[in-house]
Amino acid sequence: MEEQGYFALIIGAILVNNFVLTRFLGLCPFFGVSKRLDTALGMCGAVLFVLTLASGVTAAINQHVLLPGAPLLQADLSYLQTIVFILVIASLVQLVELTMQRFSPPLHRALGIYLPLITTNCAVLGAAVLCAQNDYGIMKSAVFGAASAIGFALALILFASLREKLDLAQIPTCMEGAAIAFITAGILAMVFMGFAGLGG
Amino acid sequence: MPKQAKFHGGIHPPEAKVTGAFEIQTAPLLETYVVPLQQHIGAPCNVLVKKKDTVRRGQLIAEPGGFVSAGIHAPTSGTISAVTTCTGPAGASVPAVELTSDGDDTPDDTLTPMDDWQNSAPDDLKKRIADAGIVGMGGAAFPTHVKLSPPPAKPIDLLVINGVECEPCLTADHRLMLEDPDKVLTGTQIIARILGCKKVIIGIENNKPDAIELMQTKAEKLEMEVAPLKVRYPQGAEKQLIYAVSGRRVPTGGLPMDVGAVVQNVGTAAAVAEAVLDGKPLYERITTITGTPVVKPGNWRLRVGTPLEAALTLAKGVHNDPAKIIFGGPMMGLAVYSLDVPIIKSTSGILLLNSDETSEFTSGPCIGCGQCVDVCPMNIMPGTLSVQIENERFDLAEAWHAMDCIECGCCAYMCPTYRPLVHHLKRAKAEIVARRKAEQNK
Amino acid sequence: MNAVIFLVILGGALGFVIALAAKAFAVKTDPRVEEVEELLPQANCGACGYAGCAEFARALVEGEATPENCPVSSPDEVQQIASVLGVSLGERLEKVAVVRCGGDNRLANWNANYNGILDCRSANLVAGGTKACQYGCLGLGTCARACPFDAIEITPHGLAVVHPDVCTGCGKCVAACPRNLIELVPKDAPLHNLCNNPEKGAQSRKVCDVSCIACQKCVKSAEEGQMYMDGFIARVNYENPPSADLAEVCPTKCLQPSLLVKQSMPALEHREEAQQEEEVANA
Repeated sequence: MEEQGYFALIIGAILVNNFVLTRFLGLCPFFGVSKRLDTALGMCGAVLFVLTLASGVTAAINQHVLLPGAPLLQADLSYLQTIVFILVIASLVQLVELTMQRFSPPLHRALGIYLPLITTNCAVLGAAVLCAQNDYGIMKSAVFGAASAIGFALALILFASLREKLDLAQIPTCMEGAAIAFITAGILAMVFMGFAGLGG
Repeated sequence: MPKQAKFHGGIHPPEAKVTGAFEIQTAPLLETYVVPLQQHIGAPCNVLVKKKDTVRRGQLIAEPGGFVSAGIHAPTSGTISAVTTCTGPAGASVPAVELTSDGDDTPDDTLTPMDDWQNSAPDDLKKRIADAGIVGMGGAAFPTHVKLSPPPAKPIDLLVINGVECEPCLTADHRLMLEDPDKVLTGTQIIARILGCKKVIIGIENNKPDAIELMQTKAEKLEMEVAPLKVRYPQGAEKQLIYAVSGRRVPTGGLPMDVGAVVQNVGTAAAVAEAVLDGKPLYERITTITGTPVVKPGNWRLRVGTPLEAALTLAKGVHNDPAKIIFGGPMMGLAVYSLDVPIIKSTSGILLLNSDETSEFTSGPCIGCGQCVDVCPMNIMPGTLSVQIENERFDLAEAWHAMDCIECGCCAYMCPTYRPLVHHLKRAKAEIVARRKAEQNK
Repeated sequence: MNAVIFLVILGGALGFVIALAAKAFAVKTDPRVEEVEELLPQANCGACGYAGCAEFARALVEGEATPENCPVSSPDEVQQIASVLGVSLGERLEKVAVVRCGGDNRLANWNANYNGILDCRSANLVAGGTKACQYGCLGLGTCARACPFDAIEITPHGLAVVHPDVCTGCGKCVAACPRNLIELVPKDAPLHNLCNNPEKGAQSRKVCDVSCIACQKCVKSAEEGQMYMDGFIARVNYENPPSADLAEVCPTKCLQPSLLVKQSMPALEHREEAQQEEEVANA
């Protein structure tokens, strides 16, 4: 039963409830860094790292500290959830940024403002909050975070590939740039609706 | 009969070879010839004569400007009336020599016949080919001696003689094989001796059954093979022909010598024979003059430097003003805009078209139908490439093998939205070559 | 109280981790890079030879490049950048591009219908487009598309014209033109020879009404050293240019005052005449 639970969780996070295309979370980097496939891949890596760790760490803090009757602090601190989660996510993003600046300056430059913006990315915070709401354990939260990040990566890579092709296509002037990108994203979201019945 | 391999793609346009039954006629001597000094692929020539010099027929008037280059010889005897420029078949202005004939047609005797070629050293024969200024007569005009000098690391074991003539309308090679098969075969033997290869295959498309039959009877005695090939364009392209007769695939970006093969046109073989046996440099060639507006289409032996206008006079002029004049065949030829353009070593045909046979069209966007991919004999994707090139993404075009394009025109022939695919690819190839050069210079 | 203590501990711990990481992965950056970058035009045109303004800023701070290498910045901006960097500058000449062809579709002869791709570089590959002149402007707008500042206009009659008031002299068009017609000249140059046909007068006259026929009238009328002959083309010595009035001596009107000089010069009459003729023909 437990195994199946994980399988359904992963498939659900990647396809059925895809963060970007079904829940419409994390749209900012989805549009911001999808112009080229290589920057999109860099973003995917960053999000995978932040999302997995953030989900795990926040779940741990939530279970051990914040919830009423938690082992470390008896008092009910769940009202601190949002601020604590943001704090954790911000630190993780800061770590990613420092590493990236050191090891891949071109990627750092290409991602630009979108990298620090993961901090306030609703996908990351959303994953943490969802884990807390559904009472996933630490392990399950981390898996959910990773699966969500893979779902995000899937959507971003698909979209970036499409946009690279769109770049070459003849588009009416009034539709160039963001307009056609939004339409494409809409169609892509409709495609993902097709997964809706999967796994009940 | 060897089994024919089928190369990918290709088309079968209407053949329209109306001049196939017409004997080759020799053009009378003209008063003036305008000989361009750039008639081949490679380094331009350095002119050797100046105004008022007298020259004899076959005298070297411009020496090759490098190894990949071929000398140019006077088409007749006479006086140099000017060293000027003229419009070449490619449209650009090229340096040229104007020669006024003295009517005597006195031959030059610098090159002596090599009667004992069977025992001559291959290097001597190669030198003779270079001295005679022989280039590929199929249309590309690549200096022949260069093609016959493969690096020792790449031994040649197959010589393919190209009598395919897959371009519609043209019949020059066909007539040559019918009227002078011995010359073609002797030339072939000489080339085989230079390359040191035993296996010779002569590829002929089976829309020329008379040529196949004649060549087969003659070639059998010389232990050469004649391969009748099912008609398909562009079978006469080197890589496609090698695949069709031997099943060998030239790798992408490679040359025929990478699979141990060399391809030579029948016209080139005949020119080699003339150069070696008669000591005659390349100053004339067989050209098909054809097209609906032409009064008397035919095959002519024209001297290099014959202006287009004079060539048309031989064909008794035109019924009506043509809409387009093309040097070469309809698929790969180049349209010219001036009647002063001279015949050069690679002019295999002059094709005139009426306005109802040409079309002016506006091209549409690529609809992704994939017909160009189906017919591309080089297995590239012309439609996708053209879109990339329109957006000046030459980096992508290079990655998608734009350099493999042989500009055969099958894709543009098929395109339902009339996209100028070959033109796009030409641009990309020029641009990629320039880029590579810039990178090398860095 | 618990909440406060917990947040302080958590914040402190995370801050400590980041501080460690910052130390471990420290990248030295010069604060001047950002300062310089802000002063740059941000056109990312690449005319300086670097991949965009950010790269150029880095090169400037590291001393690889000098501020004058950016042809787009105004002299004021260059001065500012120089003061940030603490370097001194030489006098800088402001340059603009000029298309050295004046033969539009009405003045140059045609010899072919061009039905190919509407791009100069493509047209130049196949018989060189429509005009009889092998050296003139093809008018298909490759330079205009290459211009990051929209300074090049293709006139309705198929001739590229650079607007010197908009042009920044970045030189992108110079590289784009397949016929090497575009040249960078001093912005204050009073006149240009708008012909690039190196052939003899008789030859170039045949293909275009406004070709330079190498009559040398301008060279003779100008003061010593102001004009010179380069083969069969007269050229303006931009270091010591003659005044714009010299354009009047040119019999073919290929010598034209710069567009910055007043538009209604008598030398322009020839074009106006052609225009009027066409209007009459259209009527």
